[in-house]
Amino acid sequence: MKKKINIWLVSVGLAVLLVAAMTVCSTVGVVRFDLDELLHSPIFWRLRLPRVVLSVLVGMSLSVCGATYQSVFRNPLTDPYVLGISSGASLGAAIAIVLGLQSYLWGVGAMALLTALLTIVLIFKVASTGNRMHTTTLLLTGVCLTFLITAVISLLMAMHHDKMESIIFWTMGSFASASWMDVAIVLPVTLLGIGVVLYHGKDLNLLLTGSETAQSLGVEVEKVRRRLLLFTTLMVAFSVSACGVIGFVGLVVPHCVRLVCGSDNRRIIPYSIFVGGLFLLLCDTGARTLIPPNELPVGSITSLLGAPMFIYLLYKSKRRI
Amino acid sequence: MIEVKQLGFSYGKKAILQNITFGIGDATFTAILGANGCGKTTLLRCIAGLTEPQQGSVDIDRRNVHNYSARERAQKVALVQQHPQTDLDFSAFEIVLMGRNPYQRHLQNESQADWDIVEQAMRQTNTWHLRFALPSEMSGGELQRVMIARALAQQTPYLLLDEPTSNLDIAHQFEIMELLRDINLREKKTILIVVHDLNLALRYCPEAILLCNQALMFKGPTKEALTTERIQTVFGVGSKNMDGHLVFEVDKKTP
Repeated sequence: MKKKINIWLVSVGLAVLLVAAMTVCSTVGVVRFDLDELLHSPIFWRLRLPRVVLSVLVGMSLSVCGATYQSVFRNPLTDPYVLGISSGASLGAAIAIVLGLQSYLWGVGAMALLTALLTIVLIFKVASTGNRMHTTTLLLTGVCLTFLITAVISLLMAMHHDKMESIIFWTMGSFASASWMDVAIVLPVTLLGIGVVLYHGKDLNLLLTGSETAQSLGVEVEKVRRRLLLFTTLMVAFSVSACGVIGFVGLVVPHCVRLVCGSDNRRIIPYSIFVGGLFLLLCDTGARTLIPPNELPVGSITSLLGAPMFIYLLYKSKRRI
Repeated sequence: MIEVKQLGFSYGKKAILQNITFGIGDATFTAILGANGCGKTTLLRCIAGLTEPQQGSVDIDRRNVHNYSARERAQKVALVQQHPQTDLDFSAFEIVLMGRNPYQRHLQNESQADWDIVEQAMRQTNTWHLRFALPSEMSGGELQRVMIARALAQQTPYLLLDEPTSNLDIAHQFEIMELLRDINLREKKTILIVVHDLNLALRYCPEAILLCNQALMFKGPTKEALTTERIQTVFGVGSKNMDGHLVFEVDKKTP
């Protein structure tokens, strides 16, 4: 009972921190205002605020997906980016642009979902041997798929010069064009996905003990795993279709949370939601304010933080591979 | 009551088990014996409902094991696997607490009753002092006892174990077997265990199932199962029974 109150308390604390950070971050920017100007400025209402909200939503999505993949694949080195699922989604987005679907509200998202699902099914088929997935096979499959998808996207760009710029946007990742429309699409998907993952928090812990043990402890392993992968892929696909590929968020955030609160997913998932939102919010605020008036790609900031962490984790888990 | 009926199982074209039929009565303590690769583990997995046999069926309390939901099945049958996972980042207490999962709803936290059951299971297996330890900090015997504690916390009438003593020294082998006998006698749990050590089976398990060439060779009292001829057929090893204890002779001529 005590534990439950603690989780709620910490979550509320983190939520307050996140809202405070959102308030602060939406007031800073290249164009400076005093408060009164700010509240009447279209720059604030039409550009900054949706951008802040979207970065938080995507940060939440990617972190929760990372934490989920790490338990489902029983591998601390996985996240949507490393497994190539984000790239898979960006391929769908690129195809949608080439086909001229980007004017439809859900078109890009639906295509992204389709290719992301194909990617994850492919990874599952290739990397699963018996009931355990081997770290090396899993990661290599992800890396190879990323290469393949990047090649296909390059081909698409070469064949469609006129659409090159909007395709590049999807492969690099940026919140620069965030609008309330993006928020309106990403918000329901994020809430739905997070809800499903939270619901299965205990199952995620049991999945860490292996699929057979989980089954014998009363988890419908196949059903739960399929459901979790479907909804997390949905979150990845819509994140990518709103802001492109942003790497390593799903790796960095759950790990920092794990360092502090242990490996119980009933803590990791709720804390990752808020810490993930905060993390990507700060990264994006850095991206648009560090070297004014230019913008840094937010993906490069997250990779600067995430890639060294990945190498560190790889080094640490060397003996287990 | 467990009823195995005309069970047949194969991986691809390779037959593992063929036409196996037997029944396990309540509150019995039965050893599954046989040479390496004769399908002992597969048989146990079929009974636990982890794999579906191609032929025949397994009934637990007169209901096909695959007609139970995972949750219902986990309230009937607990399984202790051969190799406990050592890289799990949960404390022994949290691991045993997972045994209460089949009785909990989603999003529901453990009740005081769950905590009490876990403490009792851990005290019974002499692991309570290890409750804050991680698997990586425990010895093989300690970890195996934690796994048995988790199976006990499931409070199932049936307990299946796959070679729980295989990696343990002789003292810990006896410790585990004594514990299982105690559970069998006091709590009237039905125990089915895969063992390699025939003397251990002879000493602790009143009943035995002897598998040979994918088929059931004998089912009955262990003392009657392990005759010199059967041991010769199944394992290709000569043996003598000396006061209820088997002594083996290695025939150097046969390869």
